[in-house]
Amino acid sequence: MRILLVQPAPFECGRIGLENALWMSEPGALTAIAACVEDEHEVRIIDMRLEEADVLPRVLASFKPDLVGVTCMTTDAYQAQAVLHCAKSILGEQVFTLLGGHHPTLVPGEHDYEYIDAICIGEGEDTFTELVAHLAGGGDPNDLHAIDGLAFRSGDAQIQTSKRSQARELDTFPAPARHLLDAYKGQYFFASAINMAAIQTSRGCAFDCNFCAIWEFYEKKVRFLSSKAIADRMEECEEPFIFFLDDNFLTRPKRLEELCDEIERRNIKKYWMIQGRTDFVVENPELMKRMRDCGLMMVLSGFETNDAGTLESLKKDNTRENNLKAAKLLNDLSIITTGIFMAHPDFEAQDFEDLYAAINEMKITIPLVVIHMPLPGTQSWRENKDSLLTEDARFFDLLHAVVPTKLPRREFYERYAAWNESTEASIDSSLSMRFMARRPRLMMAMRPGMKLFGERREVLRKALNDPENYLRDEDEIIGELPIAAQRASESVARETEGVTV
Amino acid sequence: MSTILIEKEEPVIEAEETEMELSPWLAELRDEVAAHPGVNHLLLSRLRTGRYTKGDYRVFGLQHYPMVGTFTRYMELLLLRAPSSEQKLWLAKVLVDEYGEGSDGEDHASLYLKYLYSMGVEPGEEESTPLCTAVWEFIGNHLRICREEPFLVGLGALGPGHEWAIPKMFHKIIPGLERAGMSYDDRLYFDLHTEQDIDHANWMSEALEQLGQDDEARAQVRRGALLSLGARFRFWTGIERCVVARRQPHSVDAVRRGLLGRRRPDREESPGNRQELFQAIQDNWSGKDWPVRLPSDSELLEVSQ
Ligand code: B12
Ligand code: SF4
Ligand SMILES: [Fe+2]
Repeated sequence: MRILLVQPAPFECGRIGLENALWMSEPGALTAIAACVEDEHEVRIIDMRLEEADVLPRVLASFKPDLVGVTCMTTDAYQAQAVLHCAKSILGEQVFTLLGGHHPTLVPGEHDYEYIDAICIGEGEDTFTELVAHLAGGGDPNDLHAIDGLAFRSGDAQIQTSKRSQARELDTFPAPARHLLDAYKGQYFFASAINMAAIQTSRGCAFDCNFCAIWEFYEKKVRFLSSKAIADRMEECEEPFIFFLDDNFLTRPKRLEELCDEIERRNIKKYWMIQGRTDFVVENPELMKRMRDCGLMMVLSGFETNDAGTLESLKKDNTRENNLKAAKLLNDLSIITTGIFMAHPDFEAQDFEDLYAAINEMKITIPLVVIHMPLPGTQSWRENKDSLLTEDARFFDLLHAVVPTKLPRREFYERYAAWNESTEASIDSSLSMRFMARRPRLMMAMRPGMKLFGERREVLRKALNDPENYLRDEDEIIGELPIAAQRASESVARETEGVTV
Repeated sequence: MSTILIEKEEPVIEAEETEMELSPWLAELRDEVAAHPGVNHLLLSRLRTGRYTKGDYRVFGLQHYPMVGTFTRYMELLLLRAPSSEQKLWLAKVLVDEYGEGSDGEDHASLYLKYLYSMGVEPGEEESTPLCTAVWEFIGNHLRICREEPFLVGLGALGPGHEWAIPKMFHKIIPGLERAGMSYDDRLYFDLHTEQDIDHANWMSEALEQLGQDDEARAQVRRGALLSLGARFRFWTGIERCVVARRQPHSVDAVRRGLLGRRRPDREESPGNRQELFQAIQDNWSGKDWPVRLPSDSELLEVSQ
């Protein structure tokens, strides 16, 4: 079978966002599922974030895939659908269209369209392997009941097959087929770390923050790749930089010690970046130092807030003191900190000021302020559904307020858009001469990417700093009334109309 | 279990196509047209799956509108070059229809204006809005094809390149217009073209069957179709950039500077509005050069290779 896997561009082609200016990660979902079938089938991957729009129709027409698979998080929803729509439009009914990823897993009902043949719910490897085998063996594309982990249309309703078990040991999955991304070599990056690979070393998270669906997606279980397998994959990467995709890399100190052992034993010279919690950093200073010596260059953490009460309400199970201490510790170790902070829709003017001041005090190298929102599938979503001002998937990018703001919207965005300029001091004081002098080799490695990142950052800043950018996005889409209230009043109106008729 | 974020959309009812039987070479060409990136530009699928508003469609429409008045111009140019009166007759049949016969006195341009005004365009705005380079290019290319290329290349551009392509493209546009709240009456221009152009396509096919007797003739027809669709592809890309720029003007700057992936750097400022465009068409008629650099044939053909 010929299989085409597509990473959609978020939003329209040519729109700048964090994803193409700060962090462009390789499509790890696609290389993971491709690896399961590539021995027996011809598989290609295209990354539409890096391509001109003609590439998709051109490849569809020339490669003539039997199956097109697309990955999708919430913000990509309509673009992912467009890819599958385009596939059906060019190839007709004979192409099988498949959607997978976080968004369709959490809300499959939103992808119930005639141009989508099936949705992969949850982890993809086994479901995809079985589906491909079924289709390649001449199985009926409409009779998928025997394959676990799928949703598809049967008669008038979308049905789901049995849940796919997510218990398989990560080491038993084939290594992602990264060679299918050869055409994009050198194009993935995090800030100045250009030419970056990505490896997922664990799945799931043991915490249960109410704004995050990771623990629900992985059913509160956590599985790990062995240190040996991680080191094998690191060695296979030609790229000097590696991003570990785990949502929470910093758990189980023993596993990390073992990883350091492997890196040291094999003398692996890579710079790597991770996502992890500040409490772990504070509790394991020696381990952090050891990881730094093994190549750890950046830790991305959800600091979330400067306020203890809010940490509690987010069920973050962490403290403000940990955040402060972790930032200091990482700075002292010359490990870049990327700190995500949340502006809340109920912020007043002073709250913004306080947040920016706190960031500057913490000396975060790369601060990012996002807007707190209930992401589909999270606990917070279920609790706040009635206050949603929009259900338009594009707005769930953490850069828009999808529930009513306490301040007038214009003022809210004016104050929010100031975060970039207002936290400049944080960057400057973190990236001190001392910080850089301690890691001359890392600085050298990042040098080739600095100019391009500088330019990208400049255009991104223009966009982020402009409150009109957010307001223009909302124009005609986000009103003052929550969707639920709008629907209720419409239905009352309809009923009243019914009575008068 | 699923929360329905998005309202269910009615499946589009594909217009009943009663296209005539084609000989193998034409059937092959029709399939090639149907799969061409110009007809399947991602923007069209995005209009179908995305959540564009009237304001977005206004931007789209203001750029698209100039194309409406120019199709007849291409036909007139081609008519002059038709080698026999039999061929002139086929072309004239389509042309009369395009002038608006059978549409209750409303020609395409006035139908389109109705659509624009229903989205809140102020009278006059359709003349004064700066048009993106892609619009100028598209029109310039077609004027050139109809004037300079062999007759059959022109026929390929206007027949398969337009009449076969338009119903398929408009089918994708209509559901989005509907979702944005446009009534059947307001968007009649589009609906009409999914129906009427099937007749046009059939007339054209008849002509092509007769004229495409040898390989050379067939290659000319195909070349015309591909040139037109190549220009069409670039046109949709230009429109998409305009739609993005309305809400996110800074992004256009990033694309222009080639900072996002491999996207081709964007082209320069608008060469002018519709009034200026129509002046340029007149001037071009009397021998003046087209004021915008036109993509080369190979740039246009490369879109589908
Ligand atoms: C890298 C990354 C990014 C990258 C780009 C993502 C990419 N596709 O390359 C960047 C930095 C741009 C990014 C941005 C954002 N991200 Co992000 N990101 C991630 C991260 C850390 C890793 C993604 C990855 O490669 N995973 C590895 C693969 C193997 O896992 P997977 O994607 O889940 O794929 C498996 C299954 O889902 C399934 N599958 C997936 N796709 C398909 C397709 C088919 C056909 C099949 C059969 C199966 C299948 O099979 C795979 C193998 O089992 C994830 C966290 C995570 N755990 O995945 C968050 C995550 C995807 N991001 C998330 C969010 C919220 C965002 C942002 C909105 C906010 C933010 N500030 O981060 C922005 C939005 C960007 C935008 N468009 O506006 C959420 C998504 C939630 C949701 N509802 O969609 C996640 C899950 C993090 C979280 N904690 O909740 N992100
Ligand atoms: S936010 Fe981080 S710590 Fe909290 S559940 Fe999600 S991945 Fe785990
Ligand atoms: Fe027509």
